[in-house]
Amino acid sequence: MISLDPRTRIFIVLIISSAAIIFKDLKALMLLLLLTLLLCKLLSISLSGTVRKLRKLWYFFILLTLIQSFFTHGGDTLLALGGLRILTTAGLEAGISIILRMSIIVYSAMIIASSSSMDIVYGLTAMKLPQEIGFMVLLAIKFLPLIREEFFDSITAVQLSGIDLKKIPLGKKLSLYTYILTPSVIKALNRARYISLSMECRGFRTYPARTFYRRLKMKAADYFTILAALASIIAIFSLN
Amino acid sequence: MSFYKTDSLTFSYNHRNNLFENLSLLIEENEHIGLIGPNGCGKTTLAKLMLGILSPTGGKIFLEGTDIRNLSLSNIGGKVGYVFQNPDKQLFCPTVWEQMTFSYKYGSQSFQENIEDKINYYLELFDLAKNKNASPMALSRGEKQRLALASVLSRDVKFLILDEPTTGLDLLRKKQLEKCLVTLRDEGKGYMIISHEGDFLDKHIDRLLTLSPKGVEVS
Repeated sequence: MISLDPRTRIFIVLIISSAAIIFKDLKALMLLLLLTLLLCKLLSISLSGTVRKLRKLWYFFILLTLIQSFFTHGGDTLLALGGLRILTTAGLEAGISIILRMSIIVYSAMIIASSSSMDIVYGLTAMKLPQEIGFMVLLAIKFLPLIREEFFDSITAVQLSGIDLKKIPLGKKLSLYTYILTPSVIKALNRARYISLSMECRGFRTYPARTFYRRLKMKAADYFTILAALASIIAIFSLN
Repeated sequence: MSFYKTDSLTFSYNHRNNLFENLSLLIEENEHIGLIGPNGCGKTTLAKLMLGILSPTGGKIFLEGTDIRNLSLSNIGGKVGYVFQNPDKQLFCPTVWEQMTFSYKYGSQSFQENIEDKINYYLELFDLAKNKNASPMALSRGEKQRLALASVLSRDVKFLILDEPTTGLDLLRKKQLEKCLVTLRDEGKGYMIISHEGDFLDKHIDRLLTLSPKGVEVS
């Protein structure tokens, strides 16, 4: 396993995800995915664990792939029902490119997500981003799972009050979810307010400049990884 | 047939260290139980297992003879009322009145006039009638605790699990809670109270369970 500076991780994610959007060719996207997976392996990120953790997101990606496949027409017909072209080569290509792009973006995001949230703040501040913005990113990262937790706690409380979500009609179910979503967001915002208050009580933003206990230092492995990733992306681009 | 039966119940959050092992318990429907134990010994976890919020690592829990894994949360919630340790977790409606009537609005029971009386009774009892139209978010911690209690008590459940119900209650409200517990006892309803307040428990329970990593001790 290699240990990388947070700035290196942020830079790699930026170039990989940008390339995933720019590249159109399937072979290029496949090579880019391989490069991303290789980087994840080097950073000891569990590939199967990521699939498991984001299971519901993958279902959505698969649905997106199918929609893209069925609604993009062009090329030869692969599947037809009567006179209706259901799947064409262009549709299949569009579907595969969507799933490849999403996989690249998800796995490259894991390169950042696998480092501690404080490391990300250190990285962003070292990249000359104002520390307030760095901490806002940190809070946003922390709060997404919290909002999710609040929401599921409320769903549990609703069910424990004897309400069977499977049995209530769709209209009522939708109004119930709006009931729950609003306080979940309010509770998360309140928590954010308390955190900001406690941070300010501990001297956050008291002085214009801030000193950090830890100093980031780019090592040879960081430069090498950045150069190798850049060279690989340029090579993939020029191959196509 | 006991109301609750735990059979060699084992639970672990990390699949390495068990919080408790082979816990076997019988709780009757009209029993009044106190559950104590040091911080982190798994009192709330045991309650969550009994409610089906968490799944045991080993062993089984039966509610009225049915394995809890075969019951939905709403099935369990229809029989057992639970007051969370943190009342914020169970308050999600825009007003106190809507919180109280929520299970009637969305549940299978229809809202009838006598239910309105019942809800008003509990609002009066817990001194919340003046807050009827207030947002539960705007209430103090003690008021939230009272509202959580009132909303659970107003539902017709067979058994109650109260997780540290006295937290945030002043002397007067503690007395009101005590009055409620007496009423529940008179109605023949059972409950389990998780608490650190020995004096409070002594007055209201028939059996004390002390939870520790070694198991449960009955006194």
